[in-house]
Amino acid sequence: MSISVLDALRPAKKPALLTLVLVIGLFVGAWVHGKYLSDRSPVQPIDFSHTIHTTDNEIPCQHCHIYADTTPVAGVPSVSKCIGCHKSLPDVREGPEILKLAAYWENREPIPWIKVHDVPDFVHFTHKRHIKAGLECQECHGSVETMDRVTRVVTIRMSWCVDCHTEKEVENGRDCWTCHK
Amino acid sequence: MSTFVEKLRSYRKPGYYDEFDYHWTMTIDLDRCTGCEACVVACQAENNLPIVGEERFAQSREIKWIRIERYWEGEYPNVKMGFIPMLCQQCDDAPCETACPVYATYHNQDGLNTQIYNRCIGTRTCAVYCPYEVRYFNWFTYTWDEPLEQQLNPDVSVREKGVMEKCTFCIQRIRIAKDNAKDDDERRVRDGEVVPACVQSCPTEAMVFGNSKDPGSKVSKMMKNPRGYKVLEELNTSPSIVYLTKAHS
Repeated sequence: MSISVLDALRPAKKPALLTLVLVIGLFVGAWVHGKYLSDRSPVQPIDFSHTIHTTDNEIPCQHCHIYADTTPVAGVPSVSKCIGCHKSLPDVREGPEILKLAAYWENREPIPWIKVHDVPDFVHFTHKRHIKAGLECQECHGSVETMDRVTRVVTIRMSWCVDCHTEKEVENGRDCWTCHK
Repeated sequence: MSTFVEKLRSYRKPGYYDEFDYHWTMTIDLDRCTGCEACVVACQAENNLPIVGEERFAQSREIKWIRIERYWEGEYPNVKMGFIPMLCQQCDDAPCETACPVYATYHNQDGLNTQIYNRCIGTRTCAVYCPYEVRYFNWFTYTWDEPLEQQLNPDVSVREKGVMEKCTFCIQRIRIAKDNAKDDDERRVRDGEVVPACVQSCPTEAMVFGNSKDPGSKVSKMMKNPRGYKVLEELNTSPSIVYLTKAHS
């Protein structure tokens, strides 16, 4: 008569299988969340690619985000700005995403872009000061020019702001009311 | 512990306030004040102050960063009524700052006594310590009925329940003026470029605001007026607001 350990393990089979499924589910869930549900990289109404515009076609950031160096907000380009270029690009006019853009233009509706880099309402942030101080867009936004879908690479927290202000010795950069409002 | 005390002493060392970058100061000529409360309304609009309602007003829970106090002079029948606008005096030696357990209120480099709403935990100690009674507590989270929320000032945060608030000398306007000055060849803010809402709205120009470190500014000249006095000066709070008493013939 031989003794098998399998008999002893049999009661543990079910929970083990369940655990395995759970672990796999966890990984799949995390991947799906990161890819499609996370606010770090939200799925936008139009699958706009910064890579095509900025890297392939070498359009500078401030060609579309025109207010970055003059006002607190950088500005999301209007539909007319998009259409303005795309009307004269017959080779991509029939693309599915361009047709979506055309539909917004026809319906006279703004594109409901989802904000990726959002600072809380109690924070005073101005793009102008940061651009004029000589910061590159990429220092805070990451390499957006290589992103097919914009992903937030930094965690926008007070410590992150203060660390940079301290490092760069910003004038009054650590006074609370420089950023809080 | 000892280093903490040393730090506090160095912060509070004599002459610390002479090192201010700017020293925002206000003068209020009581001879010109008619008690019209235009400043009160202007402040309400500029700084997103809530309307607390009749019931809460009766419970002394109103929020007014500037208020007009009424006083009587002389004996009947020769009585004269006077008004005195009372707002945060932005004391250089502010009692409220010493009281806050979380440093939500502190003195900044511009000589302003400031309040960080996020940091405030609502102990209300500062309001108790304030001899001028100009700190206001949010007992509730107030909301604005549509479409009134559209008129909220985006440069000022809307405070929530459990937070102390007070006059900021319209720091958002100071910030904009500094921002513009920086664009203009990194120069200093000139006299008259910062005008708080109350000063702007005063029909008799009783209030003057400016940088008292600039000897040529209008406020510096007004401060030299022999009628000038500071409210509750004997408490050594060194207020930043100079009142010009009523002229008597």
